[in-house]
Amino acid sequence: MDWVAVALTEDVPPGVVIPSRIEDTDLAIWCTPSGRYHAWSDRCPHRGMRLSHGFVRGETLACIYHGWQYNETGSCDYIPAHPKLTPPDTICVPTYTCAEEGGVIWVSLTDTDRPLPALGGRTPVRSLPVNMSAADLAAHFGATTFTTIAVVSDVDVLLAVQPCTGGTCMVHALAAAEADRSSVSHWLENLRATLEGVPA
Amino acid sequence: MILYDYVLSASCYKVRLMAALLGTPLTLRAVNFHPGREHKSPEMLALNPKGTLPILQDGDTVLTDSADILRHLTADHPEWQSSDDDRWLDFASDLNDSLGLARLHDVIGYAADIDTARAAGVTALRKLEAHLTEQRFEGLIFLTGKTPTIADIACFPNTALAPDGGVSLDPYPSIRLWMRAIRSLPGFIEMPGIHRLHELAHPA
Amino acid sequence: MNAAIDNHWYPVAMITGIDAPRETLLLGKKITLGREDGTCWVLDASGAELPTVERFGHLWTSPGQPNRDLFTIPEADNPGRRLVDVGSVKVKCSPLRAVENFLDIAHFPFVHTDILGAEPHTEVDRYDVKIREEVDEVWATKVKFYQPQAAKSAAGGITTEYMYRVPAPTCSVLYKTCPPRPGEWDIITLFVQPLTDEWCEVWPWMALYDDDSTMSEMVSFQQLIFMQDRSILENQIPRKLPLDPGMEVPTQADMTSVAYRRWLKKIGYTYGAQLVAA
Ligand SMILES: N[C@@H](CCC(=O)N[C@@H](CS)C(=O)NCC(=O)O)C(=O)O
Ligand code: FES
Repeated sequence: MDWVAVALTEDVPPGVVIPSRIEDTDLAIWCTPSGRYHAWSDRCPHRGMRLSHGFVRGETLACIYHGWQYNETGSCDYIPAHPKLTPPDTICVPTYTCAEEGGVIWVSLTDTDRPLPALGGRTPVRSLPVNMSAADLAAHFGATTFTTIAVVSDVDVLLAVQPCTGGTCMVHALAAAEADRSSVSHWLENLRATLEGVPA
Repeated sequence: MILYDYVLSASCYKVRLMAALLGTPLTLRAVNFHPGREHKSPEMLALNPKGTLPILQDGDTVLTDSADILRHLTADHPEWQSSDDDRWLDFASDLNDSLGLARLHDVIGYAADIDTARAAGVTALRKLEAHLTEQRFEGLIFLTGKTPTIADIACFPNTALAPDGGVSLDPYPSIRLWMRAIRSLPGFIEMPGIHRLHELAHPA
Repeated sequence: MNAAIDNHWYPVAMITGIDAPRETLLLGKKITLGREDGTCWVLDASGAELPTVERFGHLWTSPGQPNRDLFTIPEADNPGRRLVDVGSVKVKCSPLRAVENFLDIAHFPFVHTDILGAEPHTEVDRYDVKIREEVDEVWATKVKFYQPQAAKSAAGGITTEYMYRVPAPTCSVLYKTCPPRPGEWDIITLFVQPLTDEWCEVWPWMALYDDDSTMSEMVSFQQLIFMQDRSILENQIPRKLPLDPGMEVPTQADMTSVAYRRWLKKIGYTYGAQLVAA
C-alpha cells in the first residue's frame, strides 16, 4: 500500500487528536505535546470507544470513556479505575506507519519502504471533503493514482487525495509558497462544485 | 435574571454559555420541554406566546430569541460584539433550522424531513469551514476576529452538536480548531454532547 | 421467531404520552399502539393484538408468549417516593450496549464529570456480582463510588453506594444511596426498547425521595446524564455488543458487564449481540 495523506500538520497541533480514515479503516491521528505524530486504529481495546474522541495528556492519548491512557507505542500505561495496577503488555492499540513531510501527515496501513511523495516545494493550503471517490477524482484529471495529483491550470496545485468510504474523499491541497492561499481556496471550492455537479 | 431553560436545548445553552463566559449570574428555571411539553403550558405561553425556549426575564424585560438575549447580556461588554455579528446571528438561525432540527428528530423524535435537514446542515458547515479557513489564513481563529464575540457563541452549539443529528464533523479541520478555541475560553461550561477539554485537568 | 428473544416484555411507550395511535418498531418489526377508554393496546404488523402490561408509568408488550410476568420493583411502591417519567431518547447503538453502559461506574469521572464522578477519585473497589439463579437476574451489590453531585438533591460530594439489577435483557434497575434519606434507596431504571439490533429508544424512569426539586428539575437532571452517555454509545465500535471474550478487554471494575454478557449468552439472548469477533 502506498502512502496516503490523512491531514495537514497545521490542522493537528501538539496535544490534539482527530478522527480520520483510509477506506474502511478508522484512524485516530494525534500529535504529542512535543510534536510527534501517530496514526492508530480508532478503537479503544477496552470497550471499543473511538479514541479520536479522547484527549492528549502528557505524551499519552487517553480514551474519553474510562480514561485509559496509551503511551506512544500504543501500550496501555494507566487504568484510572485501578490506579495501582500495571496494565499487562497485551493491552495495546494497533498502530500504523505515520510520517510528516512538507506539512502533510502521511500514513501507510502496511509497512512500506517507498519514499514519501515528492511535493515539488509546494506548501499546504487546506483540506476539504468531496463527495466523489478518490479513484473517480483521479480519473477526472487523467491520473493513474490518487496519492498526489499535480494540476496545472490557472493555478499550480498538488492534490493529495485520501480515499474515505461511501464514494467520498478528502482532498489535501498544496500550492507554491508564494501563491495566494485565499484564491487557491476559492479555486478548490469551485473545483468541488464542478466535481459534485452542484453549485458551491 | 431568570432563564427559562431546557438542559438539552442548543439555544438555551447559547445563553448559559454566554453568561458563564461573562461571569453573569443566571437563575435557571428548568422547563420540562420533553416529554412534558411544558413550554406550551398556559403559564409559559403567557410569558412567550410563540411557545419556544429560551426565555430571559430581566426585571420587566422579557426576551424570547437567543440572538436578542446574547445582545442583551453583552450590552455593557463591547468586547463581545462586532459589526459582523448580525450576519452570523442569522447564520446561527440557519444552523438551528437544519442541524438543530436534525438533532431534535434523531434524539427525541421531532417530525422532520431528515434528509433535507441534514443536507442543509452540511451546506451550512461547508460555508462555516470556508470562512474559518479564510480567517486562519489571516492568523485569526474566531468568526469575526482575534477574540470571540456573540457571533461565535451563537454558532457554536448547533455546530458542535451536529453529530447528535447524524451529521459528521470529521471532515472540517478549521471548525474543529475553532470549537477547541471556544472550549478553551476561561469560564467555558459544557452541555451533554459537548465535552470539556479533559487534558486541562490533572490526574492523581 | 426466536423464543429466547421474543418471549420477553419490552417497553414501548410512556403511558401519559399516548394520545393518537402511533407506529414504532420493536425488534425490527413495525407495531402500532394506542389507548382507548383508558386502556392501552398494541397491534403487530398483521393487525394481531399483542399482550400488554401497564407498569412503572410505561406500556410494555411482547411479540411472543412471555413465560413469566413482567418483573416488579416492590420498593418503588413505598409512600413518599416521587415517580418521574423522564421521556425517551433514541440512540444509534445496540440495546445491549445501552444497558451495559448503565451498569458501568468507571466512566463517571470522564463522561459525567463533576456530577457523578471527578478525577482523581477514579478507583473502583471490588464489589459483589452474581447471577441469582432462583430469579434468573444479574445482581451487583456493594458498589461504592465517590460522587461530587450524586443526585439533584445532593449538596456536595459523598461516597454513594449502588446495587444494580438486570431483571430482563434490555432493562436495568439501580438502587442508590438517597442523599436526603440515609438508609433508603433511590430507584433509577433504564428501560430499553430495541427498535432494531443497532438502534434503540431508551426510557429512563425514577422513583425518588426528593421533596425539594421540581419535577422538571429531576427530569432535566436525568436527561443531562443520559445525553452524556449517548455521545459515547453512538461512537463505540462495533455498534453491537460483543459477547465472546477476546474482542474487548474487561478489568475487575467491569465484573457486572462480564456477568451481564455471560448471562445473555446463557439465556440465548443474541439480539443486538455480536457473536464472532469481526
Ligand atoms: N429562534 C429561537 C429558536 C429557539 C428554539 O429552536 N427553541 C426550541 C427549543 S431548542 C423550541 O423552543 N421549540 C419549540 C417549538 O418550536 O415549538 C432562538 O434561537 O431563540
Ligand atoms: S472504552 Fe476506552 S477506556 Fe473504556
